[in-house]
Amino acid sequence: MPPNLHNTHVKLLAFDLLSLTQTPNPHSSSSDTISFSRRGSPLSRVEILGTVTFRDSKPGKFLKFSIDDGTGCVPCILWLNHMTSPYFSRRRPQDVRLIAHVASDFASLIKIGTVARVRGRVTGYRGSVQVTVSDVVIERDPNVETLHWLDCMRLARKCYDPLPHRK
Amino acid sequence: KKKVHHFILLRIQEYSVETAIATVVDGDSKLKIDTQHLRDLSFRTGSIFQFIGELLIHPDNEAVLQARVGRNVDGIDLNLYHQSLQLLRQFQADHIRA
Repeated sequence: MPPNLHNTHVKLLAFDLLSLTQTPNPHSSSSDTISFSRRGSPLSRVEILGTVTFRDSKPGKFLKFSIDDGTGCVPCILWLNHMTSPYFSRRRPQDVRLIAHVASDFASLIKIGTVARVRGRVTGYRGSVQVTVSDVVIERDPNVETLHWLDCMRLARKCYDPLPHRK
Repeated sequence: KKKVHHFILLRIQEYSVETAIATVVDGDSKLKIDTQHLRDLSFRTGSIFQFIGELLIHPDNEAVLQARVGRNVDGIDLNLYHQSLQLLRQFQADHIRA
């Protein structure tokens, strides 16, 4: 039985994330039309870490950026349209303002050349995998990328990979 | 030819302000880094820098890395980095085979 990776932020290297299996989800709302899985284990949330190598800002709408961890480049999107999006129209205005403020703070942290730890949902855009960002932490320790590689490899082997069949 | 690289460099051996070219060394190997597009970085000789950019091969076979991104990584554990990089490449190869 494949490990249950739902409701946890799976730490993945970029090449691993970009090679997730995408499956159309027939019983879905408009925001979850594609399901993602890694070696048979469905997952929805990830944590990646790397250098910001691309940044494209549309104030009040979104921030697109890329994270390069040495194994690949992951496109990320941070939505900034909370105050005008119908998705948030039913929530309390003070809650929406708070969420928008946090997202705006995250956007200001993302600069070309910084090393960022990013958490979010795995989503699809035009057939490619991307991360819809929910959390950003800027890392300053020069060894953090190396330690992230080791974390991802260890977790893959110990937790995420399916157990081999016993004969 | 162009190729995207992710580099960790041992140290900056010399830096020219006029040309914005840094020369970096890794053992017996040297490489030139074009830093003209980088901002807010001070290049101290002897410091270790990480660059990401495109490797351009000139007609005279000289390779220059045109850096898009750079950062000072003084304090990095280079032994850990190199050993981890070997493990990483093996992990990637195993993943592709699986």
